[in-house]
Amino acid sequence: MEAGALHIVVCIKSVITQAPKGKIIRTAENSMLNPFDRPAIEVALRLKRANGGSITVLSMGPPAAEAALREALAVGADRGVLLCDPALAGADTLATSNALSAAAKALMPYDLMLFGTRTSDSDTGQVGPQTAVLLDLPMITGINKLTVKTEHLLVEREVDGFLEIYEISLPAALTIHPKAATPRDPSLEGIAAAFDEMTVDLIGIEQLEIEPEKTGKAGSPTRVLSMKPVQKDRSCDWIEGTPVEQADALVRRLVNEGLIG
Amino acid sequence: MEWLLQEKHRSVRQSVRRFCDRELRPIAANIDQEGRFPWGVAEKMGGLGYFGIQVPKSLGGAGLDSLSYAIVIEEISRVSAAIGLCVTVHNSVAVYPILSFGNQEQIEKWIPPLARGEKIGAFCLTEPNAGSDAGGIEATALADGNDYIVNANKVFVTNGGIADICLIFCRTDPSAGRRGISVVVAERGTDGFVVGDLEDLCGMRANPVCSIRLYDCRIPSSNLLSKEGMGLRIGLAALDTGRMGIAAQAVGTAQAALEEAVLYAKQRHQFGVAIGKHQSIQTMIADMATQLDAARLMVYRAAALKDKKLPFSKESAMAKLFASEMATRVTDLAVQIHGGYGYSKAYAVERYYRDARVTRIYEGTSEVHRMVIAKSVLEG
Repeated sequence: MEAGALHIVVCIKSVITQAPKGKIIRTAENSMLNPFDRPAIEVALRLKRANGGSITVLSMGPPAAEAALREALAVGADRGVLLCDPALAGADTLATSNALSAAAKALMPYDLMLFGTRTSDSDTGQVGPQTAVLLDLPMITGINKLTVKTEHLLVEREVDGFLEIYEISLPAALTIHPKAATPRDPSLEGIAAAFDEMTVDLIGIEQLEIEPEKTGKAGSPTRVLSMKPVQKDRSCDWIEGTPVEQADALVRRLVNEGLIG
Repeated sequence: MEWLLQEKHRSVRQSVRRFCDRELRPIAANIDQEGRFPWGVAEKMGGLGYFGIQVPKSLGGAGLDSLSYAIVIEEISRVSAAIGLCVTVHNSVAVYPILSFGNQEQIEKWIPPLARGEKIGAFCLTEPNAGSDAGGIEATALADGNDYIVNANKVFVTNGGIADICLIFCRTDPSAGRRGISVVVAERGTDGFVVGDLEDLCGMRANPVCSIRLYDCRIPSSNLLSKEGMGLRIGLAALDTGRMGIAAQAVGTAQAALEEAVLYAKQRHQFGVAIGKHQSIQTMIADMATQLDAARLMVYRAAALKDKKLPFSKESAMAKLFASEMATRVTDLAVQIHGGYGYSKAYAVERYYRDARVTRIYEGTSEVHRMVIAKSVLEG
């Protein structure tokens, strides 16, 4: 393999697009590739274009999640792997991370694991960091720039108005901030290839080294007890005075409430 | 109807919708009002394969099926019918006839740049005195050595202002009546090839519809598509596919109108409640949704038949007839639901209403389609 050519595993999720009413049944109709994973895929594609290497996209989910993997294939990922097993149903973030880390071990050797920062449906941001811990990989979160060096990466993250630059040795895991890269659109040719010509590898838990009690509902120490939409109260305050006074008062209020800087 | 669609089709829809909502929606009203073709968006569409949807990959296309084609046109038209028109006409009545009737040399020369959107195609049949009666065209292409000398006055050419490769229907044998009609490919830039002024149309204003005139235009005889006298056959084959695209376009426009109407019916309050609570509005919404659904099914059926290589001419004519008439009704009701605001350019339904109207006229009027369908039904 040429210098800097990495095997990158991008973990993605097929998310629910509509707010659930009652029990969630995931179908192709109400699922899509998590929008926060698309920048992570894009970063992987750019690294591959610059340095060579290969990209595997990995997801745990029901059969409907296959379409999300194919969408990643459509933009240029080389291989899609779906970890799909009824025993994985009802997993919380820890059980999901257990399963993903077991699947990642089956994909070794890899140099880099990428995740989105969060998902648009459950929004915990936990799976990336937990999986990195379980795989004993160094992890930095919220990356918006990265450069490949010989044995390590230089990565940048912005937090609280500061720019942090890190060096991280490989193999490593990162969560990718949406600012890192604007994801490309799949071409129609890419979609045709992904669906007509490429395959997604389906694996079940019997193919992995994992204790069944650590996955699915059985392996989930947390449980969602209820979920309902939050009713937001709206109110309207009138600001009196001349237009100039009104504008000043409005700006003062927005500043005081921290809405503008 | 989702049983008709595979994952691939859903993915096509999702990606085209995302692209059009992001790139085209913010400018859709402006390009309509300014009568401006959005080159920037078109170039991106070219890069994504929108101009060679069913062209084989070996020729630079996306290699997708007819169902995908219908979905792409539907989704572009949901945002801008004028750009949906550009893409469907290019794919169906410019690219497709070259691909189906062209020889190897012609295919290799013209298809790759067309499929990538680097060149735009147009179909030039209509003349001032020949519309529904295609056999009545007056344009001529007379042999002169290894060339044709072409004289033509083609009007209402969709994509005319931007087209590089034009299929000109003309008489190669003026004495042979309908059997003397042929298709000659004229390239922009040839001496005597003149692009006329843009038409100032009611709708589809972002599409540069204009006249194309050829004055003693010398075109090599190697630009003849198929054989002399094949013109009407090529035209009819192209229109079988083309009318499916127009039907998909009508479905997309109607879908946009329904979405706007539903949104407005929930927001607008009269008599103390959202107008969607009033039965008269509900009746309109129910009729709009039902007719739209029926039209969409008809379009997908025609496309699915074509993909299975089964006869689809009657089904595509029925889909075009029904979908275009449906779109004018649905956009009309969307305006009605919006009341006075629907008549204002401040609301998108005003544009949808104008855009939908022509779908009953071009690529075969409703009346011609009824003739075609009746003939097919009566003669079995």
